[in-house]
Amino acid sequence: MARNHWLRRFGILLILVWSLTPVYWAVNTSLQTDVQVASKPAHYLPPTPTLRNYRAVVSGGGDIPNAIRRSTVNIFIECGVATIITVALATLAAYAFARLRFRGSKILFFAVLATMAFPAYTTLIPLYKIMSTFGLVNTYTGIILVYVSGFLPLATWILHSYMSSLPLAIEEAGRVDGASRMQVLWHVVLPLAVPGIISTAIITFLFAWAQFLFPLVLSSDLSTQPLTVAIAALQGRHLVPFTLLSAAGVYAIAVPALIVVTLNRYIVSGLLSGSVK
Amino acid sequence: MTSIRRHPTTAVLAVGLACTGMIATACSGGGSSSGSSKTSGVTITVALATTPPPKASLDAFTASTGIKVTWTNTDWDSLQTKIAAAATAKTYFADATDVDWSRVGELGKLNWFYPMEKYIDTKSLTADMPQITSFTDAGHVVGIPYDASFLVTTVNKALFAKAGITTMPTTIADYTTDLQQIKAKSVVQYPLNIPFAAAEGLSTYWYQTTAAFGGTILDGAGKPQFATADSAGYKAAQWMVDALKNGLVPPGNINVADSQGQQTLMAKGTVASTFGDYSGNVGSLYDLPDSSSVVNQIVYLPTPGVSGTAPNMSNPDGIGIPKQAKYPAAAAKFIEWFTQAQNQADFAGVSGPDKVMTGYFLPSRLSGVSLLTQKGTLIAGAQLADMLKNSAKPVFPEGAPSWYPEFSRAVYTNLHAAATGSMSVADAIKAMSDTANKLSSGS
Repeated sequence: MARNHWLRRFGILLILVWSLTPVYWAVNTSLQTDVQVASKPAHYLPPTPTLRNYRAVVSGGGDIPNAIRRSTVNIFIECGVATIITVALATLAAYAFARLRFRGSKILFFAVLATMAFPAYTTLIPLYKIMSTFGLVNTYTGIILVYVSGFLPLATWILHSYMSSLPLAIEEAGRVDGASRMQVLWHVVLPLAVPGIISTAIITFLFAWAQFLFPLVLSSDLSTQPLTVAIAALQGRHLVPFTLLSAAGVYAIAVPALIVVTLNRYIVSGLLSGSVK
Repeated sequence: MTSIRRHPTTAVLAVGLACTGMIATACSGGGSSSGSSKTSGVTITVALATTPPPKASLDAFTASTGIKVTWTNTDWDSLQTKIAAAATAKTYFADATDVDWSRVGELGKLNWFYPMEKYIDTKSLTADMPQITSFTDAGHVVGIPYDASFLVTTVNKALFAKAGITTMPTTIADYTTDLQQIKAKSVVQYPLNIPFAAAEGLSTYWYQTTAAFGGTILDGAGKPQFATADSAGYKAAQWMVDALKNGLVPPGNINVADSQGQQTLMAKGTVASTFGDYSGNVGSLYDLPDSSSVVNQIVYLPTPGVSGTAPNMSNPDGIGIPKQAKYPAAAAKFIEWFTQAQNQADFAGVSGPDKVMTGYFLPSRLSGVSLLTQKGTLIAGAQLADMLKNSAKPVFPEGAPSWYPEFSRAVYTNLHAAATGSMSVADAIKAMSDTANKLSSGS
């Protein structure tokens, strides 16, 4: 038992080091100057910590802060709206798949899930073509639609698992009392499913926040480019500004990191929903 | 971008594969061209991996032509992804965008760019713009080089002097001896920077070293010219790997990419020389106190060859007009303006800071370089101008093959493996050669 205990601790420590070292290194780099970063041996702690890279990224009226500020607004709009639409549609779909019995429901459900098996890259060009045809390239609508289509199956799956785990008897009691199916959903199921809905929303938001390739292709300029795309553009033609990129990277992960740290229990419960009867 | 190529991202590779897959169909069909011929009163989008010219310059262009320019600055890797995606989907993306020297064959086969000779007298440009030959595919000019870039040898003259070397090497044998002397005298522990990370920078370094050994990479049919042990390419690979094994190159360079080595080793005086450096680095990196501790110590060296000066491999960026452009004629007018000698010289700083285009260092026109040299605003300007005019040669005289990305991957993957010791130089060369043979035969 004691041996297993230590093995588990060692395993956890290994995972922590593996996961947090890149983040630590980004923070460490972001607090140094270019000269300090390039010095040998490397500084494992900033010798004279400076916030000048963060100032260069977010403050003032230069091109870089303007781009970062605008793209921050963009990413909140795109991720926020996509999350709301995805969760709303997924809630209805998940409830239907979990509770309604109709011909082909299982096939339809598994067909929805099967779309998650497609590598995202295979859909990039067709989606780009479709968006271009409908004039949706470089629009919020285009990017949000792509996010919704991409995250809806996962959201449906998570909520389906959650709703399936809810006791059927409560709904039946509601139906016996004369409530319609929609009334049961609205007044009985949704209040019970709030934790699942929150966790689905968080997971969807985090996934949307991390997107790079699709918004890169579907956005042309700062009117729609999210933070992840704008940061990549900070790379110079011949030089890589390590400290500036690190500061921008840390800035970009601040929001998801805050969400994960503060709402961790919802994420875990969402991912585990339906796994235990 | 030019010499500083990072390892293509998975996204680039994925779209690149899709793009390559489309080549066959694109060859037969070609891209549709339905752009407007209007050359005034329109707004064009220019997408390049660089910051725009100063607003005042763009405003002056708009005032004189009636063409408004929307500039999109995207990093090089991401831009290639966007170009590949738009090319594959055959959709509008920009009116003028990047044409990299290494992708000329691929883009030419895709038939996604207008031949520039349709809009610009490209023949008359050749004498003043030597690197335009790198942008020719099947007789068509796919893009116009907008700045000059070629690989150069840089040395830290202070470190060479510390080792008692006062006469700079002119042959690769002398160069190697000098590096050994620097190491033997403990001036620095590892005098040579070779970026052995499995990335494009390793491929271009090998192309430059192969040229120094007096050879070429591929013939006109795409057949490898480096397969035998007496070939220049083989000797170059052996020289690079030996330099690492003999302690001339820092062992950590196994995972160092080109720009990283320049920024963290050469600019800090940790190494004494980079054989295949970027042609603008002295002015843009090594002489800047904020990023360098070797200010005024680095000089360009005529590339040491087998028996004298070797060619400098060209790897410039160009600008072309996609077939899906909305205003191709207006885009051509912009390209003409953007590549004018005076404008290029202005972007590089000849007329003061107000007209400087950040990150722009060396005009693609000899006349533009002359303006800078006359004014004395270009560090080592005369030397760079001479290299551009006389020794800058295309890596592939017949144009980069359409399968270049796959070939380059084979080059850097196998050279990296040879450097790590997981395969011999002979096996690496064989693998690279087999790849070239397979790709050139269309199988």
